[in-house]
Amino acid sequence: MMATDFWIALPLLLLAVGALVTLVVGAISRNDSSGYIIAIISALGAACCTLQAPPVGMVSTLGLSSTSTVRLFTSLFCLMAAAVLVLSKEYNKHGGNRGEEYPATILFTAFGMAALASATSLLTLFLGLEAMTFGFYILVASDLKREASVETGLKYLLIGALSSAFLAFGIALIYSVSGSLAITQAMQTTLAGSSVNPVAVAGWCFLLFGMAFKLSLVPAHLWTPDVYDGTPAPVTAFLSGGSKGASLLFLLILLPQAADAGMLRLPFWWFALLSMLIGNLSALRENRIRRLLAYSSIAHMGYVALALVAGSFSGYQAAAYYAVAYGVISLAAFGAIAVMERNGCGATLDDYRGRGARNPFASGVLTLALFALAGIPPTAGFTGKFLIFAATLKSGEMTLAIIGMLTVAVSIYYYLRVISALYFNTSEQTHQDQCTIGEVVVLSIASASVVLLGLFPARLLALLTFP
Amino acid sequence: MCEDCCPDMEQTLFYILAAVTVVATVFAISEKHPVHAIVYLVTSFFALAALFYLLAAPLIAMFEVIIYAGAIMVLFMFVIMMLDLGHPENSARPGFWQWLPALLLAGATLVALGILMSNRISIPDKAAVVSIRDVAVMLFQKYGVAIEIISMQLLFAAVGAFYLGRRGKQ
Repeated sequence: MMATDFWIALPLLLLAVGALVTLVVGAISRNDSSGYIIAIISALGAACCTLQAPPVGMVSTLGLSSTSTVRLFTSLFCLMAAAVLVLSKEYNKHGGNRGEEYPATILFTAFGMAALASATSLLTLFLGLEAMTFGFYILVASDLKREASVETGLKYLLIGALSSAFLAFGIALIYSVSGSLAITQAMQTTLAGSSVNPVAVAGWCFLLFGMAFKLSLVPAHLWTPDVYDGTPAPVTAFLSGGSKGASLLFLLILLPQAADAGMLRLPFWWFALLSMLIGNLSALRENRIRRLLAYSSIAHMGYVALALVAGSFSGYQAAAYYAVAYGVISLAAFGAIAVMERNGCGATLDDYRGRGARNPFASGVLTLALFALAGIPPTAGFTGKFLIFAATLKSGEMTLAIIGMLTVAVSIYYYLRVISALYFNTSEQTHQDQCTIGEVVVLSIASASVVLLGLFPARLLALLTFP
Repeated sequence: MCEDCCPDMEQTLFYILAAVTVVATVFAISEKHPVHAIVYLVTSFFALAALFYLLAAPLIAMFEVIIYAGAIMVLFMFVIMMLDLGHPENSARPGFWQWLPALLLAGATLVALGILMSNRISIPDKAAVVSIRDVAVMLFQKYGVAIEIISMQLLFAAVGAFYLGRRGKQ
């Protein structure tokens, strides 16, 4: 192992070793917060490592890549893991959930995401995605005090296993055609454009359907509202921001390598259309806030599928930008919900009435996140949607782009419903909610990123390069 | 693999083993008694292992026997005995409508297979023998990172089982 290899693998090593140290320390000390602190430090350390460029010129022998896109996403996943850990610390203490396994599993999940991000072979790519999903199997059911969390965990486990089977079978078929697990070669042979191999088409069908489950694209979306509703709020933030981002990265690692991705235009066209319509229309009638955000998540993945329909460089760039933006926005939204739920807020829209006065900080962050999801400038949500629709119009998909813009307009209604519940329904003042310093720091950074990404997208776009 | 034996014998062996695999698997699915089903499954795995051996992959044949026929079957037996599932008279056979999706899928697979066979995709007639050393070098050098990811995954399978198993005992 050369110095370059070590340098490239350092974030992965830090996350893995951090998870192991967290487990060991948890076994020795009876104090839960030491585990959380070690986990937060290793996640932040891994994020700092990825920010530094590796020495150029030498080729890694490990089969891990470290382009600017890879490093950007790896540091995003690490920072998100650190933020979720900060939010979980207070949330779990309040909920009476103890155990060092929880922070260790968050680190392991981030490890899976980072492995996925730096993969150059289909094997590592799949295993990274699996490791991440595996972590979420545990985290989704991690609320030991609630009976319903078993049901949620089982639902996620079955759907996750099914989608992994689809993915593995698709990758196997693609491998059988290309004869190589290296992503570049596999994509060049199976998406060649000129001659279509029937086995390769079957492989891509399986792969896309498996990814539709992971991204909760219609018609593989039904698990999303139930799982979002039943999971602890910080885990939902990680699930919505991190796992969706990583799954998108999975596609963004594969598709730009293709010689001609025109074959995939049709499936993405239908995924985009159905997800945008069904996601947004279902959210209109929803009264539980997390289910509402789950349907909104389905709709947002529809917008990203729209960017993938374009299939051009600008389309991929827009999709990658949206993955980052959506990650930060969901962190802010579900982080604020976590803070409110820790202070005794219920799950329905009625419980959120008058929260604007009781908890002005968390309500402000939630409002900003909802504005961003609705696509109101100057937030990252607006810039992301602008990039996606620009790329789609440029590629000539006029009909789909117009339907997309109409659904965005419809979606503003249900986001504003939540905001009006927060501020325009004053209930009797009881007491002010408490926020810890950690929560304030995390939510402030997330909100600042939502605005800054929206105002200055050029710096981020310069980092998102695809071959 | 068998350079000393004639190709006719190899072909005959292949057809016998393939028939054993298919018949044993069908019995493993349709058998009511779980312990009998497991014995049929083991038979199918052994035949499959011999097939792999004929395909010049002795290592996979060994894995098939050690891991599938050995370890996983023992695990199945443990679960059946622990949960006391050996009372088939209490369970009903699945009805026609439960069989239908499986039959449809099997039909679709057969049709796809037929189409592929009629297109005559060429299969290399002589495959080189892969030694254990080659597999080990490939596994731990080229795919070393993958091995590490899998080992982390197995560790966290245990951690997760331990954590979620504490439900209700806190």
